[in-house]
Amino acid sequence: MEVLDFYADWCGPCQMMKPVVEEFKEAHPEVKVRAVNIDEEEELAAEYRVSSIPCLVVLKDGKEVNRSVGVMPLKKLEKLAEV
Amino acid sequence: MKKYDVVIVGAGMAGLTAAIYVARAGKSVLVLEGTMHGGQIINTIKIQNWPGDFEVSGADLMNKIYHQANNLGAEVEYEEVVKISENRGDGGFVVETNENEYACRAVILATGTEPRRLSEKQAADAGSRPISYCATCDGALYKGKPVVVVGSGNTAKHEMKYLEGICSKVHHIHHDDPIPADAEAVFVAIGRVPNTKVLKDFVELDKDGYVVAGEDCKTSRSGVFVAGDCRTKSARQLVTAAGDGAIAAGAVVEYLK
Repeated sequence: MEVLDFYADWCGPCQMMKPVVEEFKEAHPEVKVRAVNIDEEEELAAEYRVSSIPCLVVLKDGKEVNRSVGVMPLKKLEKLAEV
Repeated sequence: MKKYDVVIVGAGMAGLTAAIYVARAGKSVLVLEGTMHGGQIINTIKIQNWPGDFEVSGADLMNKIYHQANNLGAEVEYEEVVKISENRGDGGFVVETNENEYACRAVILATGTEPRRLSEKQAADAGSRPISYCATCDGALYKGKPVVVVGSGNTAKHEMKYLEGICSKVHHIHHDDPIPADAEAVFVAIGRVPNTKVLKDFVELDKDGYVVAGEDCKTSRSGVFVAGDCRTKSARQLVTAAGDGAIAAGAVVEYLK
């Protein structure tokens, strides 16, 4: 299980997600969370067709199983990641 | 059913300020939020008109206020309110969400506003192309690509200026024009509308959907108060939302006496 967290420094809602993602990482150390700065990793953002951020993509065995765009509280992120 | 003195609908500046005041007055308070605490201002990276801070981001400011409300005993649940009605029998109210029902003695509505959505015709025209309501959030995803901005107000002009620094071409159209064929994304800035759909048969709304109330924040229904951008008012600013929160909380505490 892996979560890709597409963000950018200039994106306000992404700043809002930062503490939520931190809390998630602490509560679920078994899930790999990878922060992807879309300015630095344009290709990855394009590969996953990210059209709006913050965008969280949940991968299982490397395959996308879920995604969500926009801010959300911890409990919704947990639901998204099915943990 | 869990019971509170006050249920506040919305965890933006108005709702969280009201929660701070109500909690400090010793009343039990639940704040219900459909998406994420913080409200509209979290889209702003640099706030320069919040007294006391030369510059602060919306996210930092709202997270501080959220923790402050929390520390004072206000509870926050992330559930979407779908209906509010009078509780026959005890004179209070029942607030229904997508997950639970809560009973309370008084309600503060602080539901804010949301971007006006693209018309059905234009949305159909846009097809599978991404639609964004925030150029500063999503603009950089269209570096060197043609995009279009829909809208004729100040926000639309501001978004265009921002996108012109990033995109290869920024088309500008009005709310009833066709979407240009080459635009790879559609940025919408056609104003905001109040989040008051579920309140339609509960309190008086004006023709645009704002909750009718004066500076005393009292709605058409006794025991129901309104704060922030969803109220009929002349200035919709962060400080006036906070001001409304304090006024509505004061009125609630008085009502509960």
